[in-house]
Amino acid sequence: MIKAIDLSRVFLTEEVETTALRQVSFEIKKGEFVAIMGPSGCGKSTLLNIIGLLDNPTSGKYYFLDHEISGSSERQRAKHRKNNIGFVFQNFNLIDELTVFENVEMPLIYLGIPSKERKRRVDEVLEQMQIAHRRKHFPGQLSGGQQQRVAVARAVVSNPKLILADEPTGNLDSANGEEVMNLLSELNKQGTTVVMVTHSQRDAEYSSRIIRLFDGQILAENFQSN
Amino acid sequence: MIKNYLLSAIRNMARNKFYTGLNILGLTIGLVTFIMIFLYVSDELSYDKYHQNYQRIYRLESSFRIGTKYDNFAIVPLPLGPALKLEYPEIEKVVRFAGTDNMLIRVGEKEYYERRFYYTDSTVFEVFSHELVQGRLEGCLSEPNTMVVSQSMARKLFGNENPIGQVVLTDNERQFKITAVVEDVPENSHLKFDGLMSAATLSKEMGEDEFNSMDPNRFWNIGVYTYVMINPNSSMLTVHEKFPQFYDKYMKSIGDQINASFDLKTTRLDQIHLNAQTASDLPTGNKAYVSIFSIVALFILLLASINYMNMATARATKRAKEVGLRKVVGAERRQLIFQFVSEAVLITIIAMILSFAISGLLLSDFSTLTGKTLSVEALFSANVVMLLVVLSIVIGIISGSYPAFYLSGFSPLAVLKGSGGKSGKTNHWLRRVLVVVQFFIAIVMIIATIIVGEQLHFLKNKDLGFNKENAIVLELQDSAFRSRAESFKQHLLQSPAITSVSNSSGVPSRNGWIQVMLVEQENEMKEMAVILTQCDYDFLTTMGLKLIEGRDFNRDMGTDDSLAVIVNQTAARQFGWGDEVLGKKIHYGMELDRSGGRIMKVIGVVEDFHFNTLHNAIEPIIMFISPVPRFRMTVRTEPGKTQEALDYLEQSWTDFGSKRPFDYEMLDVMQEESYGAEERTGVLFLIISGITMFIALLGLLGLSSYTAENRTREIGIRKVNGALTSDIMLLLFKEFIWLILIAFVLAVPVSIWRLTLWMEESFVYYTEIHWYSVAIAGLAAVIVGLLTTSFHVIKAAGANPVESLKYE
Repeated sequence: MIKAIDLSRVFLTEEVETTALRQVSFEIKKGEFVAIMGPSGCGKSTLLNIIGLLDNPTSGKYYFLDHEISGSSERQRAKHRKNNIGFVFQNFNLIDELTVFENVEMPLIYLGIPSKERKRRVDEVLEQMQIAHRRKHFPGQLSGGQQQRVAVARAVVSNPKLILADEPTGNLDSANGEEVMNLLSELNKQGTTVVMVTHSQRDAEYSSRIIRLFDGQILAENFQSN
Repeated sequence: MIKNYLLSAIRNMARNKFYTGLNILGLTIGLVTFIMIFLYVSDELSYDKYHQNYQRIYRLESSFRIGTKYDNFAIVPLPLGPALKLEYPEIEKVVRFAGTDNMLIRVGEKEYYERRFYYTDSTVFEVFSHELVQGRLEGCLSEPNTMVVSQSMARKLFGNENPIGQVVLTDNERQFKITAVVEDVPENSHLKFDGLMSAATLSKEMGEDEFNSMDPNRFWNIGVYTYVMINPNSSMLTVHEKFPQFYDKYMKSIGDQINASFDLKTTRLDQIHLNAQTASDLPTGNKAYVSIFSIVALFILLLASINYMNMATARATKRAKEVGLRKVVGAERRQLIFQFVSEAVLITIIAMILSFAISGLLLSDFSTLTGKTLSVEALFSANVVMLLVVLSIVIGIISGSYPAFYLSGFSPLAVLKGSGGKSGKTNHWLRRVLVVVQFFIAIVMIIATIIVGEQLHFLKNKDLGFNKENAIVLELQDSAFRSRAESFKQHLLQSPAITSVSNSSGVPSRNGWIQVMLVEQENEMKEMAVILTQCDYDFLTTMGLKLIEGRDFNRDMGTDDSLAVIVNQTAARQFGWGDEVLGKKIHYGMELDRSGGRIMKVIGVVEDFHFNTLHNAIEPIIMFISPVPRFRMTVRTEPGKTQEALDYLEQSWTDFGSKRPFDYEMLDVMQEESYGAEERTGVLFLIISGITMFIALLGLLGLSSYTAENRTREIGIRKVNGALTSDIMLLLFKEFIWLILIAFVLAVPVSIWRLTLWMEESFVYYTEIHWYSVAIAGLAAVIVGLLTTSFHVIKAAGANPVESLKYE
């Protein structure tokens, strides 16, 4: 599903050149649950952004669903993104001015799905995330755990082939964190590929494979059986 | 502490050059407009107030009814002033001014044509305040053949010689000795003169008894401007109350005979410039302009202040952290309010200094536009500077206090935790409402500009019923020259460039002769006041009037020179003549007992033509052959040969020995000049709508930049969830387009209502308001609005979402 060959990403600021990724290669197969781990500043989020087509590598090749992506236009990347990828962020990134329902509905609007069908699918996923009773609330009126469930709902509502989660439990207490991890695990069992960046060893244990990054390079890949 | 605030304010301004620039620019434009309008309005309001006794001085005006026609004039009968003084002790002094049209003044060998010379009573300097420069004011105009001139006229006539005792010759008839020189009449005076000649001169020539006669006949001829000064403890009202008795005593006998009446009107000296609305008046101001301008000045200041408030609150989130920190370290709310208000005051003061400089640069152009002489001294006078300083501080305080209260109200905890202080829901709406208000005003102004322009186009292009093209109008003021008008005309016709020539008393737009005559109505002769033109046989042809019934004047008929009259359609209709118009009788020039004069029969009817401007409805007019040469001569030229004709005219003018310099007007230009006021209104509307639109756009630019900045995170989230750049642009544009559309929807009925009212009040004939003129205004606002916002919208929409989400 995903294949990266010698990916590098260099950030140019005014005077300093920072290398976030150095010639990273790996492959992720359909149905995997991969955790990316490493200390702060090791390049985890940069890698996730490239995987999620939010960013282009400086060099190297990146295949997403057998398409060579590196160097493609923002428009093409946006097209792949909205059809295939759902995102979950540490700080949830919900729009404060929209209700729970409207936040979850948003990706479907950009996919051009008719309103009746949207309503059916949003309701369905809200039920699944056990947040349907809050559908008319605004994000500011929800607890952190509830907000993250809404964010997960938004990530899966378009039935993406890949879910990317960036520290999904980072802002949650352990009970809420566990709930979110169970949700991701459940989705993975239903066939969705999940790639997650995390600090937490406990969260990483939900995954089938851990990629460890250090200073922009892959240190190790551990497969685990659980 | 102050230093700390100031430093923080200056750094803040420097860091946000874009916003600071927008704010200062907007406020500067607002203040410049305000300064200009303030100078204009205060000049308009200052008219004639420099006269010490202005509150006791009134101008007498005539209000006549002749038949069913009412007319007001700024001039009154010659004996009216003295007779009123004789009857009423309230009146302390009377002074009359009789104008002289284009007077020839000769000093030695040199000749000058002057228009601003008046015959006046010796009381003039006891009533009006004019500073003496040379000579003596006491008795300076009591003797016959004495003259007082203004300082610049003295210099023009006599150079550096002592003017006192010098002699000038006027119109080759009368000699005057200069007895005094006074300072030039200030610009803000409704009655400006360069020279005054003693009324005693005329009294001596006519004989004192004749000159001072109070015979009833003399009260039915108007001709002089008359001012009265009342006693300090009297009121003009009592004179008005007693006027009916005066009318009965002096005027009624004749009034009843000619089916007319007269009423006295008065206007206090300082009110004349803006409030008098009479015929035969000196140039006056326009009250509507003064009020429109004042409102516009306040609106534009308001718009500029709104921009400041808008942007300052919009920037609030950016400064929330500073507020939070200051509070955490112990700042009290009022200290923060003081800080933000002083920032606003700092900005308005910078804008004020800039506006003074810019106003100074624009002053001369503005003077040209308004026809005033506004001086730099007036701009930098203590009053204006004081007012502006106070105003800037007040604007600063007002526009600074809303953001100040808003910002200083942030909870430090919430701010530092990063939730951005208040949710800002109401604030958000307020900002939108303010933008709608701005666009509302701007769109109203644009619609007004377009429609005033259309009306102007309509006025200039309407078919007037006569041919205004290729026609030169001459005035035959020299009586000796005028007596040879017929041979002059025959001479002119020899030029191949000239197709026809007609001598007449009036031409379109210069046609003020109204006289009471007897008109046949239902087999009876009834008194009516009718507009008339006395002309020659070629009048209809030269003017291009269309005959719709009967025939034109004909030299071969023998009796047309005295017994034929041609009327317009409106006359035929209003006189109730029905289908039988030809042969109807009009008795003209009769005595009070209906004897004498001539009884004429209608030989033709012409299609209605606009012998007046389109401000007025077409009235009945009659035309008949004049027994003597008249004042005006219209020369129709071959198209394209106007220059050739003019050369020939000028040569012939000299050859025929006119004592007047050659001068002419083009008939079409005379028409267009009648709409000078509308033309100026058009230009002013254009400028004002430009300014309001510009300020509104500054506001929109600020708002769009704020929105784009504030919604960076939302834009990022949407893009991550599949939105394309175009989706985001649409989302952002939609927000602004709504505001402009709401403003447009509100502006359309308001502007159409107000403009229709204006046209109905000002004109009898006006253009209809087309839907597309209104649509153009809306479209223009939307397009310009979109262009303005697009800079920030495109930038925000195109940004990489990774960047925006990272900031969280």
